[in-house]
Amino acid sequence: MDMKYITIENLAQLLEDLKEDYRVFTPVKKGDQRFYKEYTELTDDVVIGEVRAFEPLKAFFSRAREVVAEGFTPQVPHEGDKPFAVVGVKACDLKGFKVQDHVFLDNDYKDPSYAKPREENLIISADCTCAIDTCFCTAVGIKPYPTEDFDLNLSEIEGGFLAEIGSEKGQAIVDKCSALFQDGSDQFVSRRDKIREEVAKEVDANIKENDVPDQSRLKGAVEKNFDSDIWSDEAKTCVECGACTIICPTCHCFFLYDQKNEEKMNRLRIWDSCMLKHYARVAGGENPRPELWTRLRNRFEKKFDFFPKIADIYACTGCGRCISACPAKIDIRKVLKRLVDNV
Amino acid sequence: MCSCSKEKNIYRPIETEVLDVITESSTIKTLKLKPKEELTFETGQFIELTIPGVGEAPFTPSSRPAVRDTMDVSIMKVGKVTDVVHQLKKGDIVGLRGPYGVGYPLDTFKGKEVLVFGGGVGLAPLRSLMYALFDRINDFKKIYFRYGAKTPDDIIYKELVKEWSGRSDLDFRITVDKGDDKWTGHVGLVTTILDDMKLDFNTAIAVVCGPPIMMKFGTFKLLELGFKESNIYLSMEKNMSCGLGKCGHCRIGTYYACKDGPVFTYDKIKGFHDIWK
Repeated sequence: MDMKYITIENLAQLLEDLKEDYRVFTPVKKGDQRFYKEYTELTDDVVIGEVRAFEPLKAFFSRAREVVAEGFTPQVPHEGDKPFAVVGVKACDLKGFKVQDHVFLDNDYKDPSYAKPREENLIISADCTCAIDTCFCTAVGIKPYPTEDFDLNLSEIEGGFLAEIGSEKGQAIVDKCSALFQDGSDQFVSRRDKIREEVAKEVDANIKENDVPDQSRLKGAVEKNFDSDIWSDEAKTCVECGACTIICPTCHCFFLYDQKNEEKMNRLRIWDSCMLKHYARVAGGENPRPELWTRLRNRFEKKFDFFPKIADIYACTGCGRCISACPAKIDIRKVLKRLVDNV
Repeated sequence: MCSCSKEKNIYRPIETEVLDVITESSTIKTLKLKPKEELTFETGQFIELTIPGVGEAPFTPSSRPAVRDTMDVSIMKVGKVTDVVHQLKKGDIVGLRGPYGVGYPLDTFKGKEVLVFGGGVGLAPLRSLMYALFDRINDFKKIYFRYGAKTPDDIIYKELVKEWSGRSDLDFRITVDKGDDKWTGHVGLVTTILDDMKLDFNTAIAVVCGPPIMMKFGTFKLLELGFKESNIYLSMEKNMSCGLGKCGHCRIGTYYACKDGPVFTYDKIKGFHDIWK
């Protein structure tokens, strides 16, 4: 593993240099939340570490609304002239790639609107330096620090960052800006590992406090509870806003629709949500999931039954966004706990 | 940076001319379509039809798959896209994507008795299957056709159905739920015209297509008769949208109807919940 070290001043310079080829985004803190914002300079509100941003990483790879075809022309429409460099991405968001890539980069039908940003965007991820009360990544098999799917990963060490190269693209950046990096000593690595261990412990304590079941207990939990009252009980307060799916780093469903102006026809896709009433309705009016609770069950079935069966992965990253986003206080951790307890 | 010219746009429809519009019944019209680029299908596969600026909807072609340059699609007027479909005229331009899904595996039907079992507008996709079966009829032990519609008016392809009724190489029976003054044929649900078949149920194939309620009780009846679960082919046409297994809408259990289906044998899907909904 090739380790480098970069000071905070040099990181500012690196981000500045990246602007030439990329639109650079970093998390910025507002109140107690972090939001991605286009980078101008390394001001105090820019947070590389801490925890995941409010928005899911998928927004940089499939836009909430985008044109995917123009009339009958074979060209693939792509917005924007520069790819994104997304900085401060956390491990939970990177796990989302496992699902998104499975859906959009499959061999039968590679999705060009996803493949291009996936190929061109730069991911400079970062270790979590703390946990917030909704974090439960270690319960779903990941650690609060990136281990794969990044170009460069930053681990905050006093005065700078230990930088791990994760791809050829990351290597090329380090080579190009070699003056900004120095070698990362073993001492830095052991310091990093200690911080990592502490943060993982923080998440573990969170999980213990909230009684979140480990993913090893999730097998069959949805299937065995298919006819349980848990679903209707949990769906009681749901207002069908769809926030839980929109904000989820693994949810990938979309809706295709056409628009026409005088000159041309556009095909657009927007993010869709299986929680919405008409999601599975067919043209004749039949709806396989007319009741809200059946749609809540469907959401869990997709995440904890479908994806493990077809792709050997639980489509949950433990990021906790759906917990914070839900106006009805439906808590995925509690639902999972009820499911495994009822097996 | 990437070379965009190599990308294949999976969401783009192929420009297609409407060659003719045939009125089949008060609610069903057949479009004869000529795509301007090659687009062929195997029986059982489906396409996405674009009405420019209005939207897309999935349909299974009803024409002979061996005809490679045009295809017919029979469409019931039920919603936003199909309302506009019913206003189309000869010469109009529409779009096509596909074909999608897996067709009927005709090669595995070789040497066996094949029951084509339809209800209502379900005859549209089955017409393409019938053409494909007739094209190689000597491959099969015997073909049975059983079809039911609500009323005589609801029977589509009346001329063709009449022609089939006279074929000596086809065991043919149809029924209506409710007859009228002119109807002299059988009256009763489609499940009531199956009992006379003397089949080798170890190998006999049944292909079922119709409204959900007919599919459900039709399947139960076939099982009762002795058909094997793995020999009952069901057209599970859900809310297919992208056709590519990506948009999520048509999931049935661990499958997507658009990509893994839309035709499934009963044994593959019987364990999933709410399959008939």
